[in-house]
Order: sequence, then structure tokens, then C-alpha cells
Amino acid sequence: MRNQYLQYFEEMPCYLSVHDRDFRIIHGNKRFRRDFGVEGEYCYRAYKGRDSVCDGCPVEKTFAEGTAQISEQTLRTRDGREIPVRVRTTPIHDEDGAIVAVMEMHTDISESKRLQEQLAHSRQRLAQLFEEVPCYLSVQGPDRIIQHANRRFRETFGQAIGEPCYRIYKHRDEQCIVCNAQAAFRDGTPFEHEEVVVSADGQEINVLVTTAPLRNAAGQVEAVIEMAVDITQIRQLQSQLTSIGLLVGSISHGIKGLLTGLDGGLYLVNSGFERGDQGRVKKGWEMVVRNVDRIRSMVLDILYYAKDRDLEVETVNVAGLVAELAEVVEKKAADGGITLRFDVAPEVGTLPGDGKALRAMLVNILENSLEACRSDHGKSDLRVTMSVRRLDPWMVIVVEDNGIGMDRETREKLFSLFFSSKGSKGTGLGLFIANKIIDKHGGSITVDSEPGRGSRFVIRLPLEARPSTRPIAAKTAMAPIVSGN
Amino acid sequence: MSPQRILVVDDDPDIREYLMAVLGDHGWQVAAVGDTSAALAALEQFSPDVVIVDVLLPGRSGLDLLVTLRRSPRWSAMPLVVVTGVDQLLKDDCQSYLGTHAGVAGPDAVLGKPIDPATLLAVLRTIEQRRSPPPS
Repeated sequence: MRNQYLQYFEEMPCYLSVHDRDFRIIHGNKRFRRDFGVEGEYCYRAYKGRDSVCDGCPVEKTFAEGTAQISEQTLRTRDGREIPVRVRTTPIHDEDGAIVAVMEMHTDISESKRLQEQLAHSRQRLAQLFEEVPCYLSVQGPDRIIQHANRRFRETFGQAIGEPCYRIYKHRDEQCIVCNAQAAFRDGTPFEHEEVVVSADGQEINVLVTTAPLRNAAGQVEAVIEMAVDITQIRQLQSQLTSIGLLVGSISHGIKGLLTGLDGGLYLVNSGFERGDQGRVKKGWEMVVRNVDRIRSMVLDILYYAKDRDLEVETVNVAGLVAELAEVVEKKAADGGITLRFDVAPEVGTLPGDGKALRAMLVNILENSLEACRSDHGKSDLRVTMSVRRLDPWMVIVVEDNGIGMDRETREKLFSLFFSSKGSKGTGLGLFIANKIIDKHGGSITVDSEPGRGSRFVIRLPLEARPSTRPIAAKTAMAPIVSGN
Repeated sequence: MSPQRILVVDDDPDIREYLMAVLGDHGWQVAAVGDTSAALAALEQFSPDVVIVDVLLPGRSGLDLLVTLRRSPRWSAMPLVVVTGVDQLLKDDCQSYLGTHAGVAGPDAVLGKPIDPATLLAVLRTIEQRRSPPPS
């Protein structure tokens, strides 16, 4: 029986040893002897090549406390290998119950250590990936509270952890009506959608959002991971390309109409000469001049739109500006049989602004009013009036006509890019640019109009220089497509 | 034989003037108006044999006028020539647009701007011949 136990001791698949109070190794099993040498050696010398007892020696502790001990240590074998081990010690008592020796069992935990290190490394890599991935990553609980957020998310949306997603993403106090994170909780499937979110500093960001459920070991969805990719630039480029397409279409359509007008003028001039009909020649020549003028103003509109230039602010003499306007539009009014009246209060003084831009804007609005009158064939007393008053803190300019007027749809789309109510005569750029100029000056424009009764534009420009920093209503500013002046 | 009557609908006064001159010089009796409502009134007063209509007009469009005429028992057979600067409406597109959206037959011809007078006159001659075929 004793021999059998001895054989068990010998063959145990771990290091087994028995130590006396002097830390000498009294017995060691086969595996122990193979790696740590002969019996009779001090354990600290055998394990670590030391000359004194190790700090926190479990054998010493077992002798002192009389209880079993567990710890982890690293041992060095005779051939120099370092082996991480789990150490278990137990006291051996004599018949009187006194501790006479301590049995020590070392289990090699190299593999488990390696796996632990690998796991820690993988976790660190995953955490690093989560942190550094170039999109907005967050994890939300069922209560819509953000539990984790990566660096890019925190940089853009602020310290979001612990806050509800709708407050962070949309600056709302209530949850969104449609929430794909909640849908992922409900259905347990990934969702993808596009939306506009708002950064901590108020910038709107177009994002492509993918939400996916995160399940626990039991398979229940306990959180949702949300990945949002910033596609603002793509959307801006798309919008610019659409604008360019619309612009090209609009220009092409406008030019075809103008060429037809020019052809008409040339036909009348040529056929007038052939017949000796001076009246026809005169009419044709006027048609040529009118269409060349329209081409010029169209080109100027396109250049202004394409360049999106900054304001050149100066002190503008308002009465002088109105006199210049009168020169530009008086003939057109007279040709159309329209009474044009300027009513400028004597005290209007000056205004800080870009004189050229303001002139272009007012010419556009006046021409729009003249056109509304020219298109009205039912009235005999067509009128356009421009009045200017200084009403602190604004310079208020009112342009009023009794032309054809506008219905609600036209009024609402009036300042949109490429909207024209003038059929073949409009490029849809004029009032869009006029609005843009007013906006850049920090002013405003409103319009009252009724079909058949006419329109009234009220323009307010600030008397103090404060170029608006607000983005323009239609975000279509684009890279120049026409070079030079 | 009395001259054929033609109604021009275009909001650009210069183009109206031009077409009146060209067509008048070639023996047509021409009336010209600037929008769809005026065109409907002119149909009653002027009784044209052919209508030339622009597409983009203030208020109701030229295609709207076309649909109104095609659906009217009185004017459904009126020869119509569409002139337009809108590329998408040229040729087959115009026909398929009307077929899909309004369910009516398209115009007799669609011409792009700038208008070539020779082409316009040729189109009008074809329409004229179709209306009064030579005796066999």
C-alpha cells in the first residue's frame, strides 16, 4: 500500500515536494527532481538561485499559520526556463499534531497565463479599435443612455456618456419619433438609415447610421451599438453637382430663348432692309439691343452666382445709389409704358455695405417689378415705386408695383435657386442672388403679393455694419465654374 | 383660297414679333398671345387652323394648354406645334410625357429653340397638306 502511494506521489503530473522548517527539500517527485534537482537542497536556491528565503514564502507561511496557502509564483528550472506556477501548500502533522513538514504542489500555468495575456491583448486591441475607428461609435442601453462612446464621437458630440442619445445627437429633450436603436432592441436585427445630427458646436452633420444589437451570453439584447459615418461632404458634393446640372439646364434654356430673340431681330433688320421698310429695321434693331442686354445681365448673374464673392464693404451714399438705379431702369420703364417713381427721404444719408452688390440687388428687384408690369395686359396705369426711409436701426427700401402679382406658390419659391415665374425670360438666378446679397449684409427681404393686384418688396438693411454670419438659406455655394471676370 | 390662320403662344414679346414677321411674310394670318388664358380666348375669337405654343409660360404651361385642347371635343383635332428650349421635352419625350401623365395624344410636331424658320415652315406645310389633301 505504501509503495502504491509512493508511486502515485512519484507520477503526479505536477511538481510535488515536501519541505522542513529549514526550507530544505526533503522529498520531490519525479517531475520535480527532473526540473529542480536533488533532494536536500534549500528550496529558495533550487527555485530561484537565491541564498535566502523568498519574500512571502508560502512554506514559511504554512509553518507559521498552520493552514494551507495558495499563491502564484515564477520558478526557474535547472536549465534556466522560467515557469509561472500556481502554488498550493499544506502542513504535514506528526502524531501529536505538530507541523513537521509542508507539502508543496506547483501546477504549471504557462498555458493559462499565455491565454490570459492573449485575451488582455485582444481586449486592448478591440478597445483601441473602438476608440480610434474613424466614425462615430457609441453603445446605448434600452433607456437610450449612451454607455460608451469612442474618441471621435466624444470630440464631436462632447462628453456624451451617461446622457440620452437624443440630447446628444439632436439637442432635443424628448426621444425621437423614429429611433432605429430602439428598433434594434425590439427586433434584434441591424438597421441602417441616414439622418442629420447636430454636433456640440451646432454644426449639422449628415450621417449614415448602422445600429446592431449586442447580446449577452443568454442571447438577450442588452445594448445596441451604433456606427455613424459622416457623409456630409458627399451630400454637399451631390448638392453642388445637382446645382451645376440645374444651372447648366437653366443657362441652356435661357440662351436658346435669347438666341431666338436675336434671330428675330436679325430677321426683321434683314427683311426690313430688303423691303426698304425703315420701321421694320428699327423694330428689329431694338430687338437685337434688348436681347444683347438680356444676355449681358444673364452672364453677370451667372458670374455672381459662380463666384460667391465676399462683400467689399464701404460707405454707400444712398441717394447716389438710387440715382444710379434710376439711370439703369428708367429707359426700360419708359419703353414698357410704366410710370417709375423714386421717393427718397432727404435724411437717408449713408449705409455701410457693398455698393456694387447692393446696386445689382436693387436693379434685380426693380427689373422684376417692371417685368411684372410688362406682363400685365389688363391695366393702363402701370406703376413701379421705390421709396427709401431711414428708420433706425434699418434702412428700409420698399419696391412696389401694380403688375400681375404672384400666387402663394410663386411667393414661397420666389427666392429659391432656379425658380422663375417668368417662363422663358427667367434664369431663376436673379432673386436668389438678391436674397443672398441682402442676407450677407445682415438684412432681410419680405414680399406681399396678390395675383392681379401687384407686389410689394420690403428690404431692410442694417445701418450698423454687421455682415451676417448665418449660412444662406439655400446651401448651394459652390466652387467657381466660370473663371475670370 | 383665304390665308391659313395661325395662333402663336409665347410669353417672350420678341419671339412673338419674330414669328409674326416670318409667318406673315409667308402668307399666314397670325395672332400672338403671351399666356394660356389669352390663348383660350383667342381660340374663340380668331379660330386658328394651327397653334404654335411655347412650353414654359407664366401661370399654366404650354403642355397644360395642349392637354386642355386635346381633351376638348371642339379643339381635339387642332394641329399643334410645340416650340421649346427645354431639351427634355423634345421629340419622343414630349409624347411619352403626355401619354404617361395626361393620357392624350402629343403635339403634331416639337421644335427646339432657337427656331429655324425653314424647318418651321416645312412643318406647317406638312400639316396644311394633311388637312387639305390634293384631289386624287
